[in-house]
Amino acid sequence: MEIIHNLAFGFGHALTLHNLMFCAIGCVVGTFVGLLPGLGPLATISLLLPLTFSIDTGGALIMLAGIYYGAQYGDSVSAITMKIPHASSIVACIDGYQMTLKGKTGLALFTAGVSSFIGGTVAIVVLAALAPALGEVALKFGPADYTALMLFGFVCVSFVTTGSLLDGLAMCMVGVLLGQIGTDVNSGVARYTLGLPFLMDGVGLVSVALGCFGIAEITKNLDSREERTPFSGKIKLMPTWPEFKRIIPSALRGSVVGSFLGILPGGGPVIAQFAAYAIDRKVSKYKDEIGTGAIEGVAGQAAADEAAARTSFIPLMSIGIPENAVMALMMGAFIIKGIQPGPNMIAQHPDLFWGLVASMWIGNCFLLILNVPMVRYLLSIFKIPYVVLFPAILFFCCVGTYSVNNSLEDVFVTAAFGLMGYVMLRLSLDPAPLMLGFILGPMLEENFRRSLLLSRGSFTVFMARPISGTLMSLIALFVVWQMTVFVRDVRKARRLAPA
Amino acid sequence: MKDRNLLKGLFLAAVAVIFGVGATRYDIGHVERAGPGFFPLMVSSFLFLLGAGMAVRSRFMKPEAIYFNVKNIAIIMGSLAGFAAFSHYVNMISGIVFLVFVSTLAGTSYSIRRNAIISAVLVAIAFVFQRGLGLQLPLY
Repeated sequence: MEIIHNLAFGFGHALTLHNLMFCAIGCVVGTFVGLLPGLGPLATISLLLPLTFSIDTGGALIMLAGIYYGAQYGDSVSAITMKIPHASSIVACIDGYQMTLKGKTGLALFTAGVSSFIGGTVAIVVLAALAPALGEVALKFGPADYTALMLFGFVCVSFVTTGSLLDGLAMCMVGVLLGQIGTDVNSGVARYTLGLPFLMDGVGLVSVALGCFGIAEITKNLDSREERTPFSGKIKLMPTWPEFKRIIPSALRGSVVGSFLGILPGGGPVIAQFAAYAIDRKVSKYKDEIGTGAIEGVAGQAAADEAAARTSFIPLMSIGIPENAVMALMMGAFIIKGIQPGPNMIAQHPDLFWGLVASMWIGNCFLLILNVPMVRYLLSIFKIPYVVLFPAILFFCCVGTYSVNNSLEDVFVTAAFGLMGYVMLRLSLDPAPLMLGFILGPMLEENFRRSLLLSRGSFTVFMARPISGTLMSLIALFVVWQMTVFVRDVRKARRLAPA
Repeated sequence: MKDRNLLKGLFLAAVAVIFGVGATRYDIGHVERAGPGFFPLMVSSFLFLLGAGMAVRSRFMKPEAIYFNVKNIAIIMGSLAGFAAFSHYVNMISGIVFLVFVSTLAGTSYSIRRNAIISAVLVAIAFVFQRGLGLQLPLY
């Protein structure tokens, strides 16, 4: 009963006309800015943070949360329609873009919107019920456990890639290596910077993402020299009932997976999307269609993404540890407003905490109301001929990379990754695992080195601890299972084609 | 050398060698006190094994053709690099014009009038970004 009481308390705060307005403004502005290819949630929040300085604390935080969710949805729209993703929508590129190619953009966008709503709703229940207690679980995670968790994430990737398991793992490693560029946090040594000062901070996530996905994709489209106009007639927005029924189960699966993974520091939306997609590929009724533009491929990951984005507030608000760059920025916003996120926050500022929780849900409703009618206009972008569209996309990519650090060097870096992305595309290597490796690489190294330091160089530490031990055995089980599947397939192929 | 599987293995192995050799320039340390070179060396060794394995395996598989259009990717790279260079040395408006006029060389048709319109619209959008969103674009 305490949950209901707390939530009612929160809604009482969030539903004032004043806060409602900030929530709506945040969502709308966030969606529009997030829509621009090249500007993800991180860039959007940092751009719009100054807007909130003049607003009172409660309203400002609510508006920031609205911007965050809006940006994230806007992001998945650019991923689905143009295959230009950011960290929060890498998986949306796979099936979402396939659906666009089939002319089902409207359905894909609707699915993404509804699934995020489902994911967000489930996560809010989890957040309200467990936030105070779940923070403690995160405290139990030691370095070895984080290492195992991230390795587990890499193995999950093998489900996601369009190529083979080995290709996926190899691309993960390439990503981890790219993540090594920059200053080593332990020793302060500058690694692989080629003596260039702007590489001291490492290469930007935005540069890698835009290069490997956006620019490589543009070049591929130019190679095929086709005038892409998939939409000539009316665009069907609303799904049919059988289509709608397909959204629900995978959205629910994604919500549960996302809510859980979002809580774990180092987990967060990125792993959650991949994990949800992987699960759908194994258990969904339509698993054979996933990867070729299936509703499930969009629904599960969108729900997981949204759920994890919400529950990733838990470590920030309960133990004061931001688990990714976006949360770090949110933490900055909290501190600017004079609030120290941490175990005392719920006790000291219950109105802020529960008000924020409630406004997340209200923000979700706004997104749904806004986006369903807006989708029709978003699609008009495809009425523009590609020869006009692609210079504009290149321009947005340039502005997006530039405005992260206001540095033109980043544009060169993006161009370089565009070349790499194109080479990988032609070698049929999937860049999605590379992104995962790139994001998790630095955390993996830090925790790996720390666990070996604590265990005095003994690798048994990864087996001995209950959490990491369990994850490691899951990985081992998984590898054995994949090998049996592989051997079985080879035998079957030999039997069918004796040569 | 037109086999995609072989090139894939060689590409991965090459990335591994670049990072692996680079790692040896940093302090490797030892297992209980890893230096900055330890982790990249470890990961690139694994990657090298994978890449080399794929290259060897490709010799036993049917070769797949690889398609590579040097012209288009070169045009796109050039237009991006030119955008950055022009924005740095002149201003971003000239960068935008350069980007549009060069990148469209890779398109199916080329029209100076159309490019002028695209550039004008993009410059206008850039102004909206600068004034409306407060992006620090060095437009002029």
